[in-house]
Amino acid sequence: MRIVILAPSVYSETACAMAAHLAESGYVPVGALAISSLNSKTLLRKLGQWGSAEVVRYAFSKLISPNTSQPSANNPYLDPMLKSGAATFRSLRDVAAHYGFPVTFCHDMNSDHSLARLTKCAPDLIVFTGGNILRARLLEIPTRGVLNVHLGLLPEIRGMSSPEWSLLENVPLGVTIHYMDSGIDTGPILKKYEFVPENKCDSLSELRHRLIAFGVEKTAEVVAGLDRGHLSAQPQPDLDRDKNKNKHTNTSSNKDGQFFVMHEWLSSKAAERLTHHRTLTRTAHG
Amino acid sequence: MNRKLTKAITEAAGLLRAPQRTAPLLKKIVSDKLRIAVDRPHLYSYTKTRYASPYVLSKVMHWIAEAQRPDGGIPAYYSLLTGYSQSYPEVTGYLIPTLYDFAGYESARSAENFRTSFAAYRATHWLLSLQMPSGAFPAGLHGAPAQPSIFNTGQILQGLVRAYIETARPDILASALAAGDWLILTQQQDGSWAGDGAYQNSAHTYYSMVSWSLAALAAQTGKSKFAVAAEKNLDWVLSHFRSNGWIEGINLQGHPAYLHFIAYVLQGALECAVLRHRNNDNAIDAVANSAWILLRRFETTKFLPGAYDDNFKSPRRFSCLTGNAQMSCVWLRLFELTHDLRYFNAALKMNEMLKQLIPLRDRAGILGGVSGSYPIWGSYQPFRYISWGCKFFADALMLESRIKQSFDISAEKVLQCAS
Repeated sequence: MRIVILAPSVYSETACAMAAHLAESGYVPVGALAISSLNSKTLLRKLGQWGSAEVVRYAFSKLISPNTSQPSANNPYLDPMLKSGAATFRSLRDVAAHYGFPVTFCHDMNSDHSLARLTKCAPDLIVFTGGNILRARLLEIPTRGVLNVHLGLLPEIRGMSSPEWSLLENVPLGVTIHYMDSGIDTGPILKKYEFVPENKCDSLSELRHRLIAFGVEKTAEVVAGLDRGHLSAQPQPDLDRDKNKNKHTNTSSNKDGQFFVMHEWLSSKAAERLTHHRTLTRTAHG
Repeated sequence: MNRKLTKAITEAAGLLRAPQRTAPLLKKIVSDKLRIAVDRPHLYSYTKTRYASPYVLSKVMHWIAEAQRPDGGIPAYYSLLTGYSQSYPEVTGYLIPTLYDFAGYESARSAENFRTSFAAYRATHWLLSLQMPSGAFPAGLHGAPAQPSIFNTGQILQGLVRAYIETARPDILASALAAGDWLILTQQQDGSWAGDGAYQNSAHTYYSMVSWSLAALAAQTGKSKFAVAAEKNLDWVLSHFRSNGWIEGINLQGHPAYLHFIAYVLQGALECAVLRHRNNDNAIDAVANSAWILLRRFETTKFLPGAYDDNFKSPRRFSCLTGNAQMSCVWLRLFELTHDLRYFNAALKMNEMLKQLIPLRDRAGILGGVSGSYPIWGSYQPFRYISWGCKFFADALMLESRIKQSFDISAEKVLQCAS
């Protein structure tokens, strides 16, 4: 199976862990396409998402941190996947050098330059770990499709802040591995996995970290299943069309199942729910 | 065109009469220019609280308190060119519920409570003096030749009903009944209001605000004639909702459909439907359908254009802040009605955006004001801080507070059910 990794940055831990874990599972990627680290859009997005102090801390940990023997992952749950024997992976370049595949850089994954590079790799499967919204021309390149790991159970929770919305909407936590299409998390589902943490999750960021690591692990399972022909994708049911039928205008509602980035006040309520969730889980498990 | 030119010359002449206004005007233009140049809304915009809502609410209410004239009337706007306008009966009327809400909101601070209740009392007193023998209230700013206005009468009726609820004064009830009777008298067979007394003599779907007031009057008095009139108009308005969410019949000759008027249609229809228990025919769903289109647009671009052509198309790059605040109110009410948290989430972000555009340190007339447009030179009420913008944003912040206070309880309920 010819696999290409799409990465939001060469320093993306998720992309590194995904590439390394797939390689360790016997599926060495044939290439990776990463957005250039000095990309103003990414920087702006991260400033908004993390704040300036956290961006500086992250940059420091990736670029200047003196201890190169440790992966120094921001997500400690990815640490085991960022090591192979004596090797530690601090960037996608390290993973690529270790397993022997090329990394290409771009400013936009949908650009002609990127599409030409991807086409040249002739992938069966592209694994998306973040970056731009993918356009139809890119989605059509791999023979099987583009895989995405969504941090929520589809079709109930589509879009952003999925773990937080799952908590507030009383939808079980989990990940969905699906093929991407032109919609937001609307593509055919390959496999859904509920996530029941064995140990307590103290915060939303910890929950997110653990879901990401869980998703990376499960992607290797899905790739193996696809390779052996054990898995087929199922189209998503359109929950909204049935639920939101509008009798007055005699049409389906315009409302879709997409969730958007959660405001911090609601996130704080989701964090409270996480505490409840933990208590309930503990009770359920005796 | 001549009218527009005359208006522009009059506004500009304001600066000649009061050159001290030049500095605040230039300051605002420069700050909006800079903000536009630097501000690049992204996916995570407005997700963090920069200013506490109660603090900004107190500033917005301060704007209203400062603006109120000694006779109780509240001006339409403070212009950076010409200063305060004359008092505006329409807005003075529908600010009354906001003033009473704030008096209740501020119940812990009795002095503020009394001051705001008294402001509502003075506003009511002033309005009662303006009512025409027919029961109608006049159009336009105070001092203009008194012409009866259907829309303004409906908007003022909303304030009268609330003032009656708060005070139980028979003279206020009599005034409200007279206004309601006049509205019934002028209603068309199809449920709309058109002809004399209607803006540009045409029927408008945003007169759903009038049907809301009539439904409120019916709820207080138990008189079915007001309920029938309200529902008749609601049916007429709902017949203009298209399946793609667009609403026909806003019908402003010479103007695009400003977000303010689209939001009026939604607010009026929603509240009338709630008061008349009209969810069995999906009246609320029709409103939710349109509100969702605007929510999705705001969530994906972090910006709602201030005006639209057909089908929510808009090439415009200015915001109508009043319309934004109204949409926040609509989303918050839809959350209360449907428990869909995405409405609440969008409203929280919209309120964050608006809070960042409120001047928190400035002179009277500007401090706590909501500008007509952002940037200030946008085509909706340019270079003005408008009283109805303050009204709707104060309403949105108080609704936000109400929902936040009850949120934990509702969350517990869900958990109990789930277990």
